[in-house]
Amino acid sequence: MIDKKRIAELNGKIEKSMEIFEQAFERFRPEETRLIWSGGKDSTLTLWICRKYCSEKKIELPRAFTIDEGDAFEEIDDFLHRYSREWRVRLDWGRNDDVLKAAGEKLSAEVKVSDLSERNQAEIKRIGFDLEKFPFEAESYVGNHLMKTVVFNTYIEENHVKAVFQGLRWDEQPARKHDPYVEEVASAYLIPAHTRYRPILHFTERDIWDTTLHFEIPHCPLYEQGYRSLGAKTTSTKMSDRPAWEQDLENTVERAGRRQDKEKTMDRLRKLGYM
Amino acid sequence: MKNCVLLTIDALRRDTFGCYGNEKTLTPFMDSLQEQCLRFDRAYATGPYTQASFPGILTSTYYLEYGKQKNLPAEKTLVSEVCKTKGIRTAGFHSNPYLSAYFGYNRGWDMFYDSMEDDVTDLHPFIRGDAIVKKVEEWLSGHLRENSGTPFFLWVHFMDVHEPYIPEEEYLETVDKSVSLSKEEMLSLFKDVIIKRDVSNPDTVRLLKKLYDAKVLEADEYVRRLFGVLGEVLDETTVIFGSDHGDEFGEHGGLSHDGKMYSENVRVPLFIYDRERAKGEVYERPVSNIDISPTIAHLFGIGDVDRFKGGSLLPVDEHRPGPCFGESTNKRGHKEKGEDKPIYYCLKDERKIILDEGTGEYELYNLERDPGEKKNLIHEDEHAETLKNELQSWLKNR
Repeated sequence: MIDKKRIAELNGKIEKSMEIFEQAFERFRPEETRLIWSGGKDSTLTLWICRKYCSEKKIELPRAFTIDEGDAFEEIDDFLHRYSREWRVRLDWGRNDDVLKAAGEKLSAEVKVSDLSERNQAEIKRIGFDLEKFPFEAESYVGNHLMKTVVFNTYIEENHVKAVFQGLRWDEQPARKHDPYVEEVASAYLIPAHTRYRPILHFTERDIWDTTLHFEIPHCPLYEQGYRSLGAKTTSTKMSDRPAWEQDLENTVERAGRRQDKEKTMDRLRKLGYM
Repeated sequence: MKNCVLLTIDALRRDTFGCYGNEKTLTPFMDSLQEQCLRFDRAYATGPYTQASFPGILTSTYYLEYGKQKNLPAEKTLVSEVCKTKGIRTAGFHSNPYLSAYFGYNRGWDMFYDSMEDDVTDLHPFIRGDAIVKKVEEWLSGHLRENSGTPFFLWVHFMDVHEPYIPEEEYLETVDKSVSLSKEEMLSLFKDVIIKRDVSNPDTVRLLKKLYDAKVLEADEYVRRLFGVLGEVLDETTVIFGSDHGDEFGEHGGLSHDGKMYSENVRVPLFIYDRERAKGEVYERPVSNIDISPTIAHLFGIGDVDRFKGGSLLPVDEHRPGPCFGESTNKRGHKEKGEDKPIYYCLKDERKIILDEGTGEYELYNLERDPGEKKNLIHEDEHAETLKNELQSWLKNR
């Protein structure tokens, strides 16, 4: 249980997040925005605060967008289905069907580049690869780019989305420490221009759990089993068998071996001559 | 209690240093520190490339202990974790992807910067030393403002010597005025020659070495800046500096740093800088990078750490020299593969024995008579059996 002082502190943090939503909705209509909802604890809290804001201001709740990378936990899928219904969230699912089809929906299957659409082929060239084939796996640099970044950019472009809400946090990793609440992404080849809002940047991992438990915000049952951070199924690992919120959050690492860190790391290795 | 700084420079060969006998003045600043250093004449890395060597430096364990894993195994304890639990502030700054949070090296740091979120270019696929030093400066001023009085352990790692060798003009000019290549041409050398490990043209290999030397000169400048930033804190700080491995320029038929256990890759520079105590001494017995973390623990008054395999290098007159070991895989080319087999070395006094598990073959070199390790004496040296036993017993008991 947390004391009154702590509750007031958390309410202050929620207020701060509401201000970011306020800024966003001063510039954009709800239908021009999307909330990126992975089903993880951070984006679920972001959505919860967004609902609170929209219901207080009596504005329409933005649509949510989730990406199916072809390697998802069933528990996350179930969670997204259940709470999109209960919370009346219009949830869009994005998938790179072209790649999934070429891989026969099977992890580690070999994908022939010539089997892919022009767009996917252009994307592979854009990130500096001149490949004939690559393994479809959660770990591969190309696979990750196609399954996530491309799906995101395509969705933004096709739906004329002007702004997105992301559940990133400063304390996720030191490199995030200087991320701004609002970031403009300029348009470039294959990248549509859009604005990124990060309403919960100031929440620590501890704040997330204190808020989630205190306000009885739903969370995916995997966290109870000891997962601290949820990514693709084959690359996420439990940190302990104790529920996430009972672990030593302050002195241990939240993200170990998460897939989204992989992309940049692999790109560096490639440039250094290792891949 | 003093602070401790560990500075490591990736792929920096021992024989580029003036203080180790190089006459080209590639390390003027680091040479100028020698009067206040304890210098290790025969220091060895525990492996010939980052993944094989850094477990030795930061966790005092050998690469393949606990099996080959993608991430740093949970059974290994980083010296940062040891320091942090003792209330020492810990900070690490570097730009090597193999030492990033992704591979599990972010444990135990109050501040950890691995640069993986920052953008880099093909010409400089890492954050350069001058920018790393700026980040250290920012952190240090914050630390001194907020936690002054709390000792710190700071690890800084430079990538500037690592390929692609694309030096700035001023440094290349100092090394050899007659060389004039565009950066794109240097990048082509990287892609067409280094990555392919093509040593067929000795002139090209010599040219690559000049570009490398220019990068050493550049890195030395960044070390000078780092010491400038440490400034007055240096009076209360011990600085351990060295490298994780060397780099090959055709000595054993290759380039860069593969799994080979020869001196150009595993014999490394190592110094302990201490303004108050060190007086330019040279320690001539073999020591290993496996001893770096235990030395850091010793400097902070932390007793023996169970999981550390090495022992403190300080006080040096109590140091008990033993054999040095190393472990890697026999990778050839730029990427480790699943089928790569372990390769080990054991170095005792003037002899080194190498075992390649892929071929099952041993090699033995007498480093005193044959420092270039050209003549394999495994069938003629009278100590061959003793060294084999030494290596096997280490493998069994580690």
